[in-house]
Amino acid sequence: MPDAELDTVIHAPARLRVVATLAALGAGDELSFPKLQKLLDMTAGNLSTHLRKLEDAGYVRVTKTHEGRTPATYLALTRRGRDAFEDYTTALNTLLRGAGA
Amino acid sequence: MPSDPTAPGDRDPAPTHADPAEPVAGAAPAFDPAETLRLIQVQQDRARAATEPDGRLLYLAWGIAWLVGYLCLFLSAGADGQAAPWAFVVFSGAIVSAVAFTIVHSVTRTAGTRGVSARTGALYGWSWMLGFLTLGLVLGGLARAGASEEVMALASNAFACVVVGLLYLGGAAAFQDVRLFVLGVWILLVAAVATYAGLPLTYLVMAALGGGGFLVMAGIEHALRARRRSVAARCVGTVGGSGEAVDA
Repeated sequence: MPDAELDTVIHAPARLRVVATLAALGAGDELSFPKLQKLLDMTAGNLSTHLRKLEDAGYVRVTKTHEGRTPATYLALTRRGRDAFEDYTTALNTLLRGAGA
Repeated sequence: MPSDPTAPGDRDPAPTHADPAEPVAGAAPAFDPAETLRLIQVQQDRARAATEPDGRLLYLAWGIAWLVGYLCLFLSAGADGQAAPWAFVVFSGAIVSAVAFTIVHSVTRTAGTRGVSARTGALYGWSWMLGFLTLGLVLGGLARAGASEEVMALASNAFACVVVGLLYLGGAAAFQDVRLFVLGVWILLVAAVATYAGLPLTYLVMAALGGGGFLVMAGIEHALRARRRSVAARCVGTVGGSGEAVDA
C-alpha cells in the first residue's frame, strides 16, 4: 500500500539519481549535459532517454543553446520536479519510520 | 563505522546459511527505503563536490600563503622594520600561488554550471579583481605623493585587509554564509590591529592572526562537514540496519 504513494517517474533508480543530482543544485541553477553525464556515469543515450521521460512529466527543464559555435544542452529541475523529489524523500522517511517502529 | 569488537558475542561471526535473519545472499528484497536514501545522499554529496568550490581547500591555501609570506617578511625585517627583498619575493610567490589555486579550483569546480550561482560567483570574482586593481593604483598614487616606505608598507597591508574583509562581508550576504561574515569581521579587526602594531610587528600580526584565522576556518569547515556526514550516515544506518557509513 505505501508503495503506491511513491512517484513512479522518480522511483526508477536511474531517474532518481538524475533528479537527486539536479536537486543538489541551487533553485536557479542549471547543469550541462556532459557534466551531468559524468556525475551519473551513464551513456549519453541512456541519459537522454531518462531526461525525456522527466521532461515529459514536467520535472526537468531542457535548455538547448549555443556556446560560441558548439551546441550545448543545460538541465535543471522545474519547481514541480523539486517538489516531487521532496515528496519522494519524505515518503521514504515515512516508510522507514513505519518499518522501524 | 567499523564492526564493534564486543558485538559478536550473541551472534555467530561466520554467517550460517540456515539463519533467515541475515539475508546476506539471495537478498534483494523488492525495495529498501534506507538504501535508497543512502544512495540519494551519496549522489547529492558527489554532485555538490563536483559543482561547488571546497571552502576548506581555499581557506587552507590562503592560511598557508599568509602564514608563510608574512612570517618571512617579519623574520627578515631589519632594525628599521623594513623586510628584506628575498622575503618580498617569497611573499609575492605565496600570494600569487594562492590566487592561482583559487581561480583554477573555483573555475574547474563550477565548470558546466549555469544560472544564479554561476552569475553570483562571476560577479564576486570580478569584485576581487577590481578591488585589488584599484588598490594597486591607489598605492601607486600614495608612493607618487611621497609616502615613506613605512607608510607604504602599513597602507598596503591595511588596505589589502580592508578589501578582503569587506569582500567577505559581501560574499557572506551573497552566499548566505554566516561563517564567512565572521571571518570578514575578523580580517577587518586584523587590519586595524596590524596597522597599530607597527613594523615589523605588523607582519607578525598578519601571519598569526590573519593566516591563523584562515587555518582555523579551514578546520571549522572540515569539522562541520565531518559531523554532517556522520549524522546523516547514522540516521540512515540505524534505521535501515545496514550500519554502513556513507564514505570515509
